[in-house]
Amino acid sequence: MTEIRPAVLVIDDEPQIRRFLRTGFDLEGFTVVEAGTADAGMRAATLRQVDLIVLDLNLPDIDGAQVVERVRAWSTVPIIILSVRASDEDKVRLLECGADDYVVKPFSMAELLARARAALRRQARGARGEPVVNIGPLSIDLANRAVFLGGKRIVLSPKEYQLLQVLAQHAGNVVTHNILLKEVWGTKHLHNAHYLRILVRKLRRKIEEDPKRPSLLKSELGVGYRLSGMTESD
Amino acid sequence: MSRSAVMREAAGIALSILMVVGVSCLIYLALLFFRMEHVMLLYLVPVLVAALRWGTLPAVTAAIAGIAAAAFLFYPPIYDLRVSNPDQIVDLVLFVIVAVVTGQLGVIARKAKMRAESENLREALIGSVSHELSSPLASIVGSASVLAQSPAIRQDNQLSGLVAVIRKESERLNGDIQNLLDATKITHEGIRPKWQWVDPEDIVNGAFARKRERAVERHVVFAVADDLPLVYTDPTLVESALGQLIENALKYSPPHTPITISAEQDDGRIAIRIRDEGVGLTRDETDRIFVRFYRSPRHAGNVTGSGLGLWITRSLIAACGGTVEASSAGPQQGTTMTLKLPIKSQPGRDEGEDD
Repeated sequence: MTEIRPAVLVIDDEPQIRRFLRTGFDLEGFTVVEAGTADAGMRAATLRQVDLIVLDLNLPDIDGAQVVERVRAWSTVPIIILSVRASDEDKVRLLECGADDYVVKPFSMAELLARARAALRRQARGARGEPVVNIGPLSIDLANRAVFLGGKRIVLSPKEYQLLQVLAQHAGNVVTHNILLKEVWGTKHLHNAHYLRILVRKLRRKIEEDPKRPSLLKSELGVGYRLSGMTESD
Repeated sequence: MSRSAVMREAAGIALSILMVVGVSCLIYLALLFFRMEHVMLLYLVPVLVAALRWGTLPAVTAAIAGIAAAAFLFYPPIYDLRVSNPDQIVDLVLFVIVAVVTGQLGVIARKAKMRAESENLREALIGSVSHELSSPLASIVGSASVLAQSPAIRQDNQLSGLVAVIRKESERLNGDIQNLLDATKITHEGIRPKWQWVDPEDIVNGAFARKRERAVERHVVFAVADDLPLVYTDPTLVESALGQLIENALKYSPPHTPITISAEQDDGRIAIRIRDEGVGLTRDETDRIFVRFYRSPRHAGNVTGSGLGLWITRSLIAACGGTVEASSAGPQQGTTMTLKLPIKSQPGRDEGEDD
């Protein structure tokens, strides 16, 4: 971590969840700010500079999507959602409102930290204007539109590159199907989800060691894709 | 029969007799003012009430008491159990038939009502209990994961072993709770698939990733055919169903045996098979394995389980228009679970790569 004690704001109404998040983030060198309601959380976010927000989806006072929208109105701070299972639509809605990623309860601290770090890195990369994204053996030079696998340059079709570029910009975090369709084909093709599935297959054949068991370009069923060099349990 | 059930039945019999006495008084009073031809029919009331509320024995008691009371009190010779008028004998025979039939119907209705009530109660209980359990479990899993990372625990093999047990067991508990939630959802709300095009490879990998931690020391062979067509289905439901099949394969086969996960196109459908070399199935088990709450007597004592998993699996897959079948050469011969999904018409070969 390049930042010095990044500050994380945890918004969850359950004290026991906040408690382990506080300890877990603290152990990893974060400064933790806590809030038990969305209202208190948004106030805390305006009162002090936070580097990351961890937001529970089911808060008693304000709907999670609304909180994300309101924060996004004035801030690009990374937001990670804590969601319950069986709410793919909610997850997609929140991601498309501007949340950066989600973890499903019950989750392990390691899982949350991986997502949080990926989001922080993206934020830092944007701030520093860093052009190269490295994911495992894959290296994507966004400035020169060049992709290297294990040091060797590989050739991608324009659409394949566009897809990889969007995923690389969010490296480590999930990108929804709709966002990818829009970025690669434009808003007219939002209903052509099968374009995306087929393009992903082609791209996997070029970047994955075993395209049938991908280790870099992973699918989040019902939600989107994630470009990540780590396994879930890391 | 439990003691309280005996007490209830005895109370039912007593109340039935009381009702017959009551009806007799009513008829006696009524006869002072009206002329009633078929007073006997009133005696059906206690029979029906007893059948609905207390069951067979009180109903039979009410019937016999009713006949006796009618014969004794109202049919000449009065105050004698004998009946002289042939018409009235016909009445009595008819009464007996009607009483028996209504009694039976009442008992059936009562049983159906009780079954429905206990089902509802069980479902409601399961639903609320699992919600109550979910949130503390999230705290347990999370806290254990923080402990696992803390330097003090990581240095100590014994302690980190214990923390691993907490995590593993609470995650298993979570799986069981999710199953209960799924089951209540299936029976109460039904399943509403969210259809979309999906790569079957992603479903296989996603389902396995969910169970990866439980399969770390297992040899798992993947045999996914090249160029499988996309399928139009609900990926989340199928992933969850497939995860259950993988979990069962891991659970019911010895740790040193391999598990094979294969996927291929098969007669217009995608067939995904999970094969293990474990305990296998008897013919009876093959027939009943998908029945809700069914647990094979061979494993009920030594392997934990709710008997819900495969029932949920089949319900989820059926909602997506697919099928799940179990096959086995016999006990200890391994099991193959075959999940088949309709492909639906393929989207046009236009792949949007026209740049």
